[in-house]
Amino acid sequence: MKKLSTFVNNANISRFRFYIQLLSFIVLIYGGYAYISIGQNLPTFACPYNHATAGNCFLISLQHQLHNSWQNLLGFRGIALLSAIISFLLFFILLNKAWCGYICPLGTIQDWLTSLRKRLGIRFARYEESTFRKLKKVKYVVLVWLIVAPLFIANSVFGLPRLSHDFFPPFCTICPARPVLPLFTGDTSQYFIDFSSPITLTMTALGLVIVALFLVGSFVKKRFFCLFCPMSALHYLFSRLAILRLTKEGEKCTKCGNCFRVCDVNIVEIADDVTHRNIVQDDCMMCFKCVEACPEDGCLKVSVLGLPIFVSSEEGFFHRYGPLENKEIKDA
Amino acid sequence: MPDKPMVNDRYQRMQRTASIHLKMEAKNTLQKIVEEFPNNPAQMDHFYRKARIFTGEEKFSARGRHVVATMCIHVPIELILAAGAIPYRICSGAYATDQIGAEFLPAKSCPLVKATLGTIFLHLYQYDIVPDLIVNPTTCDQKKKLAELSGELTESPFYTLEVPPTRDSEDARIYWQRVVKRFARRLENLTGTKITRRKLKGAIRQVYRAQVQYRRFFNLRKGLPVIWGKDAILVTNTYFYSDIEEWTNALEKLNGELEQRIANTDRVVSPRAPRILLTGSPSIFPNMKVPILVEQLGGIVVAEEFCSSSRLLYDTVAVDEWFLYDMLPAVADRYLKPCTCPNFTPNTDRLRKLLDHVREFTIDGVIYQAFAGCQLYEMESRLIGNALEKNGIPMLYVETDYSPDDLGQISTRIEAFIESLKTRKKKKD
Ligand code: SF4
Ligand code: SF4
Repeated sequence: MKKLSTFVNNANISRFRFYIQLLSFIVLIYGGYAYISIGQNLPTFACPYNHATAGNCFLISLQHQLHNSWQNLLGFRGIALLSAIISFLLFFILLNKAWCGYICPLGTIQDWLTSLRKRLGIRFARYEESTFRKLKKVKYVVLVWLIVAPLFIANSVFGLPRLSHDFFPPFCTICPARPVLPLFTGDTSQYFIDFSSPITLTMTALGLVIVALFLVGSFVKKRFFCLFCPMSALHYLFSRLAILRLTKEGEKCTKCGNCFRVCDVNIVEIADDVTHRNIVQDDCMMCFKCVEACPEDGCLKVSVLGLPIFVSSEEGFFHRYGPLENKEIKDA
Repeated sequence: MPDKPMVNDRYQRMQRTASIHLKMEAKNTLQKIVEEFPNNPAQMDHFYRKARIFTGEEKFSARGRHVVATMCIHVPIELILAAGAIPYRICSGAYATDQIGAEFLPAKSCPLVKATLGTIFLHLYQYDIVPDLIVNPTTCDQKKKLAELSGELTESPFYTLEVPPTRDSEDARIYWQRVVKRFARRLENLTGTKITRRKLKGAIRQVYRAQVQYRRFFNLRKGLPVIWGKDAILVTNTYFYSDIEEWTNALEKLNGELEQRIANTDRVVSPRAPRILLTGSPSIFPNMKVPILVEQLGGIVVAEEFCSSSRLLYDTVAVDEWFLYDMLPAVADRYLKPCTCPNFTPNTDRLRKLLDHVREFTIDGVIYQAFAGCQLYEMESRLIGNALEKNGIPMLYVETDYSPDDLGQISTRIEAFIESLKTRKKKKD
């Protein structure tokens, strides 16, 4: 048992993650061809605009379910909505935010763009902390928009006129997954501008701008889009229910900042917070690079139902960072 | 030796006398360390020999490479190695040079600063070599002014490494990263060697290997006392001026021997001896007054939280993308973020570290060494003392310096402290 845990703790989780991401990508993007259907309410961007998708993103169901009159929502539609939420939660609690780090195809594409940049030896961009703090709020605004807009389209609230149906689906029209993911099955039909009304014109044009930003942004900035992702915001609301956890034992932390240095989404708290046990922040994608980079035994810990499965260790750190490749030391 | 404005008869006399004193001092301390203690590990011989650089019995050759003298622990060694130069820390623990430095500094100055100034002034470096560059980080006020004063006294060029006063803020980090980048350029100019991606990676790994052994050494002291603290302190002291590969290999051998000792429960002292954590102003050979006293009087030093030991080598560099654009900031971070030098404020991490050491090393008592005139450690002692007391850990505050005058007085206090720890320990059992 001890041997096994040492083996795991010394492992290169980033490499493991690369393969899991690749596998998930293939299954989610092409699974439809093999009649794979994982679920209708997946907590990740399994975009149904891609005709071969192996499941549905929960956000699209959510927008559709909410696009209902109050009466319906109080009736059987409400029950459908509730069951959608429950099925989303059942998927979500298994992996917590690791859906972002390991499964999300849009996240994977961003990581591939990062690899490309690295291969070219181009340096990455970073936000200033204050900018980061401001920008990260955007995802909550988007989340509220995608929840409230369908209701406002279907209902008149406080006697206000209803929102134009041209906004629907309010998030999908501007989501980069809709145009980007179908590309992988050779479908370019999502690149268009809809001139039928000023609203459709604006939304579709905005959508295209966002795709461009997505591609350029995530080339220069690691996980550029995740900072604005409403799915990530939604995850965070339920993160505490999940069985997969990332925890930190503050007394063991030297605040060396290694974890923060390697974090693709610039989470300062991972290094500087030495009081909270549950260290998952809203932007965290649970990639566990931080655990790999932490040289303190047992300081950062990944666990399932309280059972540690991957724990930071000095030995693991030096294994991954290299000097043990040196022969004389290995023999020692 | 380059021409200095002050080289005259008097200077040469001073140099001769101080050098004789230094050699005697080193010899005496070494004799105590080596001969007055039982059961020293055989692999310590290498480190004893290294310390003989102070007695003139051991020689060193820079093998034609540039020598970059450093002070404190904020100077990124990785860069110096990557530029093909030899890092060499000149913070001095010698009373002989302390007295020389005293001529130039206010009476109440810190002995470490005085001794270092004396070393620079008289060129009494451990080797018979002249540094090509002396890097002076802006840490405490006295170290800051040291550079200006020394500039008058030596021809070796100085380089001021601008250490920020805080380390938690992003501003401090970015500022420091820029300072480190500029330092890299300076080193390249000095040696004419470009710090390339490969060279820096190699240097980071070289330090990693030293750290692997250091951490192994550090960790094995958490258990059975198989090595005296005075030896452990000497091990890290010799890192100041050893070839890093040679040092690493020697420590690896020592670690092997110590692990063997643990397996054989071959300890140097009875398990009843109070386990002491030393912290505060650093013990640097030949100033080993306090650790030697502690261990002669029945205690055992199992951990030091000093800038001459754990703080020097413990923390690691983590690079995400192995290119210069990420490696340089990574190296910079390692010297800033986890550093518990009291020149930073706030420095609560030092307290957290001490409390961690107390748990991890099953410490019975803490001895807080403050050099008279070392304001920062003197000032921090109150915060630390209060917090330790709250956690039920006895602490002894010892104000001392490099002169042998206070030996009697502090040995009485240390003895009383150790006795009280012994009684406490017995009661607990
Ligand atoms: S905090 Fe850790 S797990 Fe979360 S995104 Fe950053 S590196 Fe990955
Ligand atoms: S890497 Fe580990 S020890 Fe370093 S700051 Fe992060 S959690 Fe703390």
